[in-house]
Amino acid sequence: MNTAPRAGTFHLWRNVAVPLMLLSAPTGSSGALAQSVNYGAMEQMFGEPVTTSVTGKPQRATDAPANIEIITQDDIRRSGATTIPEVLQFVTGVDVRFNGIGGADVGIRGYNQTANPHLMVLVDGRQVYMVDYGRVVWEAIPVQLAEIRQIEVIYGPNSALYGFNAAGGVINIITYDPRKDPINTATVAAGTQQYRAGSAVATGRIGEDSGLRLSLGGFEAHDFPPGGLNLNDQLSRQSPFTGTFNADGRTKITDAVEAFADVSFGDTRLSGPSPAGAYLTEEQHSNSFRLGVNANTPIGLLSLSGYRNEANVNISNVITDDFGDQFSAREYETQTVSVVQASDLVKLGPDHTVRAGLEYRVNSDGSALLAGSMSNTIYSASLMWDWQMTPVVSLTNALRLDHVQMQYSGFLVPGSGITAADYSNTTFNQPSFNSGLVWKATDLDTLRLTAARGVQLPTLMDQALQIAPGELAPVGLLGRPNVLPSVIYNLELDYDRTLTAIASTLRTAVFGQRTDNVISWPFGGQFGITPAGIPAFFSANVGYTTAAGVEIGLKGHSESGWRWNASYAFTATSDNTSLNQGGVLTSTVNYACSAPRSVVDAGVGYSREKWELDLIGRWQSNFCDFRATGANLGLERVSIDNYATLNVRIGYAILEHVTLALAAQQLNQATLIRTAGPLYERRLIASVTVHF
Amino acid sequence: MTAPGAKRPDFRRREVLKALTLSLAASLPRSARAASLSAKGLKVLGSALSCLQPEPSGQLAIAVAYVAGDEASRKDAEALAALMGEGVHAGRAVFQPRLVDTASLGGGGYAAILAASGADGERLMAASRAARVLCVTADFAAVQAGRCVMAIRAEPRVEVLVNHAAAAAAGVELAPAFLMMIREI
Repeated sequence: MNTAPRAGTFHLWRNVAVPLMLLSAPTGSSGALAQSVNYGAMEQMFGEPVTTSVTGKPQRATDAPANIEIITQDDIRRSGATTIPEVLQFVTGVDVRFNGIGGADVGIRGYNQTANPHLMVLVDGRQVYMVDYGRVVWEAIPVQLAEIRQIEVIYGPNSALYGFNAAGGVINIITYDPRKDPINTATVAAGTQQYRAGSAVATGRIGEDSGLRLSLGGFEAHDFPPGGLNLNDQLSRQSPFTGTFNADGRTKITDAVEAFADVSFGDTRLSGPSPAGAYLTEEQHSNSFRLGVNANTPIGLLSLSGYRNEANVNISNVITDDFGDQFSAREYETQTVSVVQASDLVKLGPDHTVRAGLEYRVNSDGSALLAGSMSNTIYSASLMWDWQMTPVVSLTNALRLDHVQMQYSGFLVPGSGITAADYSNTTFNQPSFNSGLVWKATDLDTLRLTAARGVQLPTLMDQALQIAPGELAPVGLLGRPNVLPSVIYNLELDYDRTLTAIASTLRTAVFGQRTDNVISWPFGGQFGITPAGIPAFFSANVGYTTAAGVEIGLKGHSESGWRWNASYAFTATSDNTSLNQGGVLTSTVNYACSAPRSVVDAGVGYSREKWELDLIGRWQSNFCDFRATGANLGLERVSIDNYATLNVRIGYAILEHVTLALAAQQLNQATLIRTAGPLYERRLIASVTVHF
Repeated sequence: MTAPGAKRPDFRRREVLKALTLSLAASLPRSARAASLSAKGLKVLGSALSCLQPEPSGQLAIAVAYVAGDEASRKDAEALAALMGEGVHAGRAVFQPRLVDTASLGGGGYAAILAASGADGERLMAASRAARVLCVTADFAAVQAGRCVMAIRAEPRVEVLVNHAAAAAAGVELAPAFLMMIREI
């Protein structure tokens, strides 16, 4: 086994795509302005973003019965970010831990951890998180920043629409519609850390009613210095790169029927911490395809779609054996997600909108860590009812029922006490709900009261990890089929006010949350001895955790070109779990301290003719993180002091269609300890963007 | 700077257009400047027109209806037409304004009606039904009373109200997604 890059290995993206795009110049002009009813038109009409992510029904963001933050394409561009987590790091209530250039764990409202499984991430409704640990490999998402219309962040559980794992929040990345939005742009960028990147997005109209958007992009860089990582973890890390391609097509078959299809593939290498805290390098080859049709019928807006995601993952890291020798371990995984969804959305009279949905899903993982393959087959039915009770009061209720059937095939650790029949005999039936009461008290004031029951399914590794004693540690690491789903209850009160005098919107939220049946991975979970006498850590339900918090934010802009935002978020989290008891540190799960309690974000920007200038800063209080000691799954706790960071971007339109930009990330500090992992270095990135 | 893919008008041309627009606004009589729908309201109108089913396309006329003999109504109609300039863009269609007094609406030749102040009476709704076209007004009470199909307000918050029965009577169909985002009675 070998952790070094495979000699002679041909990485399509690294060797061809990135250099090609760095050298390529945009050609020609394409895309007549598509002008039909679309979300862009709706946004222009209402003067605010619109969304379907909260209830499945198209809504103005301010009408949605949930706390939602929408980050627009303008916000993304002006942020100077090169990745989606870099965009998210300045969003109120969102916590981002960077594991290096390109890798990050993202959490919402106090719940962040290594390989965070509490977050549902989707691209245009297609799930993009990994089913092994429920984590997100952000750089493997086949989307270029320039083709994103908006990123929607929904706070709190939203399982009644999305099902399991929409537990702490949902991030839905909405791309432009290839039939209606002619996005044609190319960007090349270079910066410190030997960062080189390129991306291109081209949209073509095919006839009057069809559109196809192609996107291609990637980066490579020399990653940050290792900081306090142990020697094994230092040796495990490799320089990151990624390259993805996506094709997204839509066609209007008749005035009432639209079909859509998308296909993507990508090649990514990133280093980051595992749930056990040790740094790994992951090479991932992923692909997806989706087909669907929407129809406007007398019985409502019918939608039928199906998609399949596949990720072939090659994980490597350096391990020290019992004799003190270092060797490389390499594991392979093949993860697939197959989903078929159908829904009907209908407005019944002036005051009632109903959405009924059905979903069939198979999440599957085949891996040496599982000694076989593990899958969950999930059948779901959901119903949403939106009632406009009075001209200013609406009540939305959504209910979903999920039925889970497990299946395992492989070679269970002998003496584990678990049999394949234990899996096939295990089913879960879980209800979830979301309710939201929205009162538009005046033209300027909105109150929102929401309640939810969300559900987080144990991950496939929680259910079936099979590591025998002596493989990674003296004790075994075993998943179990009888680990129950976590149940998350959330109650929230929001108050929004439009402050016309200062052209701003004030948003406030108070929330409380309780999670029962907290799930721990087998890594440092519950220690026990099997009936056959095997000592092992098991995945387990380890207790409960609660969180309460307050968020207040102000955002506005002026006709003269100024824009500003400021927010404060406070989240207090308390754990009552059996993890890390008795002074022995075994688990990376510790919600009470693993995200900052207080965060202040503030930004100001100004546009004038050809210039754009934006500054955004963040201060956050201290939190704790964990890293591996390098021996026998040992962990050490690392206190991350409070810190402030400042990002700046300057854009200048040198020609009508050409923009030069210089972005600085963490301008105020050359290096900063932001996690237990690598030091975060100041980054400077120059880019040229051409719109054609 | 504009979003990727958006039109990026030449800066100099934009400045000239801005100056011309300001000059035009300054040259309007005081009453004409206070049109019942603002420029922002007309944008909302354009987006709403693009939600008609089937989707309109090409060069179309929108009757800006006023009450003959009512000076305020006529001036409002003129102000609305002036604000529209060469027309209201609505997806693939451009609706060009045509001043029509309510008594002459029976002549047809338009794809939608925009009611100037005071022009949202029974005669207007009768014309809407006869021509089977959308009637739009800034007067919410008129829509609540069934004298027009759609009311629009742009400030302080965009509001759109559609009278379901009036729309059905006029044979007007609107995109379901649009109807889910506005208030119906």
